[in-house]
Amino acid sequence: MTENEYSLRFLNCELNYLSVTDGSAIFMQGDTAVIAGVYGPVESKLHKMFYNKANVEASFRPMKGPPSVNDRLMESYIKDVCEASLITSLYPASSISVNIQELEDCGGLLASVINASCLALINSGLAMKFIFAAVCCMIDKESENVIIDPNMKQLNNAKAAFTCVFDNLNKDIICCQTSGRFTEKELLKSIEMCRETVQTIFTFYRDIVTKYATAI
Amino acid sequence: MPNDSKRINGPDATVPYSIYTNLNSESSELLIKNQLQFRVDKRKHNEFRKMFIRIGVVSQAKGSAYVEMGQTRVICSVFDPREIPNKAQYSTQGELFCEFKFAPFASCKRKGHQQDAEEKEYSLIMQRALEPAVCRHEFPNFQVDIYALVLDNDGSALSTAIMAASLALANASVPMFGIVTAVTVVIYDDLFIIDPTYKEEALCLKTIKKLKPVNHGIIMQAMLSQHDQISEFFLTGSMDINFVNSSIDILSKTSNEIYPVLQEALRKSILKMIKKKNQQEK
Amino acid sequence: MESQYKTIHPAKYLRDHFASNIRPDGREFMSFRPVSVCVGSITKADGSALVKIGNTTVVCGIKAELACPKAESPDCGFIVPNVELAPLSSPKFRPGPPSEESQCISKLIEKILINSEAIDLKSLCIHKDKLAWVLYCDIISLDYDGSVIDACTTSLMAALKILTLPTVDYTPETGSIKIDKKNRIHIPLKQLAICTTFAIFDNQLLITDPTEDEEKHSLSTINIVFNEDDMCFVHKSGGIPVSQNLFSTCIIKAKNHGNQVRKLILAAVNCKT
Repeated sequence: MTENEYSLRFLNCELNYLSVTDGSAIFMQGDTAVIAGVYGPVESKLHKMFYNKANVEASFRPMKGPPSVNDRLMESYIKDVCEASLITSLYPASSISVNIQELEDCGGLLASVINASCLALINSGLAMKFIFAAVCCMIDKESENVIIDPNMKQLNNAKAAFTCVFDNLNKDIICCQTSGRFTEKELLKSIEMCRETVQTIFTFYRDIVTKYATAI
Repeated sequence: MPNDSKRINGPDATVPYSIYTNLNSESSELLIKNQLQFRVDKRKHNEFRKMFIRIGVVSQAKGSAYVEMGQTRVICSVFDPREIPNKAQYSTQGELFCEFKFAPFASCKRKGHQQDAEEKEYSLIMQRALEPAVCRHEFPNFQVDIYALVLDNDGSALSTAIMAASLALANASVPMFGIVTAVTVVIYDDLFIIDPTYKEEALCLKTIKKLKPVNHGIIMQAMLSQHDQISEFFLTGSMDINFVNSSIDILSKTSNEIYPVLQEALRKSILKMIKKKNQQEK
Repeated sequence: MESQYKTIHPAKYLRDHFASNIRPDGREFMSFRPVSVCVGSITKADGSALVKIGNTTVVCGIKAELACPKAESPDCGFIVPNVELAPLSSPKFRPGPPSEESQCISKLIEKILINSEAIDLKSLCIHKDKLAWVLYCDIISLDYDGSVIDACTTSLMAALKILTLPTVDYTPETGSIKIDKKNRIHIPLKQLAICTTFAIFDNQLLITDPTEDEEKHSLSTINIVFNEDDMCFVHKSGGIPVSQNLFSTCIIKAKNHGNQVRKLILAAVNCKT
């Protein structure tokens, strides 16, 4: 294993990017960029209200075109991951919405979206059980090597691609999405490699939050 | 088909392949009559197809029924009464909400996902046919949802759906005055054909340019056989008045023949339920 | 008494069963409900299959139509899978436009179909840049009692396996199309992808093939799709974190179950043809 295989693309982030949200972040991973905004907790609409927990909603806007059936799956990933990490029972009868706008997709969009929403949630100050981070990786068609955080060019040569989301407590798998065909061994090996890389992102979160904390 | 943002869309313009198959559809009155005279499945004109009934097929529903009439297959389920949504006034009579739907693959030509005009009309006919049979005063200000889905349409889909719905209502233990039986008849010239197939229905509605049109049409009649009452009568086409009268006789006769079949199916389902309950208690 | 308890405390009802190592329907944690497959029963469809997993019932019907291929892929046909969670299948669903859940399932099924490479879209092309088949695969749930994605995948695969298309005689010079309805051919189906659903409860308790009640109270679900010799889709949309060990257990279980269901589909199709 060379060092190169474990390295992520360049990460960049700015918090409080949007002024009216309760928490927001613009996040870049290589050339893939997304903006995330969190609203809440606010009073929930009556038909979506839960008496014992908050209702978490997610919306994803693609770079171009109106929202369509293609974005629903992305929304379900955002919603389910955020809902798992938030302590929703602290905000009964209220609603929390996570909104993501895609700016540019150069590979690993889902991973960037998940990371951006985590930063926005941290920024919003909502109570969380744990924080989470996503890593994308792929298996090259020819060399069958695992490449962490590939860009669009590398993805075009992929046999299979995986996105895994981990929590920061035990580094367990919260979310897993795949494309392409692969064997069990390849999947488990890739997840293992993602897990080893994910600490970089958690460290990055810490750096960003510290930076903004000292500025206050 | 317009682009539907909530579904996966195919290419913009698609055509069913069946339009390329029978281009020589030259039709005359005699030809149609000949085709109708001898039925493909060798049935007599006043004979209905073999029925297959299963009650309680949907575990999540309060009551449900699956009815096969030859190749026509309909599944219907009924749910618990719920308060009528967006209703300001108190209604002394409960309401029935019916939805009739063809599955996209049920007909010769693929149907869209949204309810079209025909399906909406059939939903209303279903509602009118069933309302007189249900003791609606027993659940004021509540509505019962009835959903019927045609999985395979080989003619008489509406009448099959009405029968399935009335069985499902009975299975859901909704109080009723009786079981609704529904029968379709097609009329062509002097032929009365009970329980038509898809092809026979299509043949009867074929318009032929002629000075005086022949008697043709489809009649669907729903009735409560126990009480000898007609709950809905639906006619398309054009025919002499005395034809309507004689068709009522034929339809009522067939209804009376079908009624024991439905009754038997219900009886069996109840016996089964009792048996299951006894087993559980043991 | 039991049914009242179930209505009042559904979550506790489930937990009490799990505490005594059994599921409410009498199954063990890692056992599956019986699966039944019935193919080609719908006469008006070009290919159809009805799949039952316990109470869960799903029907898939395929209608073939003709269209001009897209300019960017002139030698490819189309497959349009749509899942409809019909209001008759559960009181959860209302008539009207598809809910978010049914949109997600539609998209998942499409992803599974593409990832598994079960059908080569090139085999649906009749004449390059001029004419190709469009397969409208409509999957409708008739009884919604959990593990619907499994039932949808199985019914789609079985319907594709039994699907026959009429032969087309296309003359590119005149653009005339002749269809021979009698002479029907199969489309080569390269893979039979089988999905298995798992649900996870407190203390990393794993159960297979959850029913609707179990799914509703679970903390997370995992879907794993197996082809004959490799995997083609893993889906866990969120919820409680799971360890790698649990994940491996799921994979092994899904592989075995996949093989069994695959045999079942093949047997059902062989009976019919």
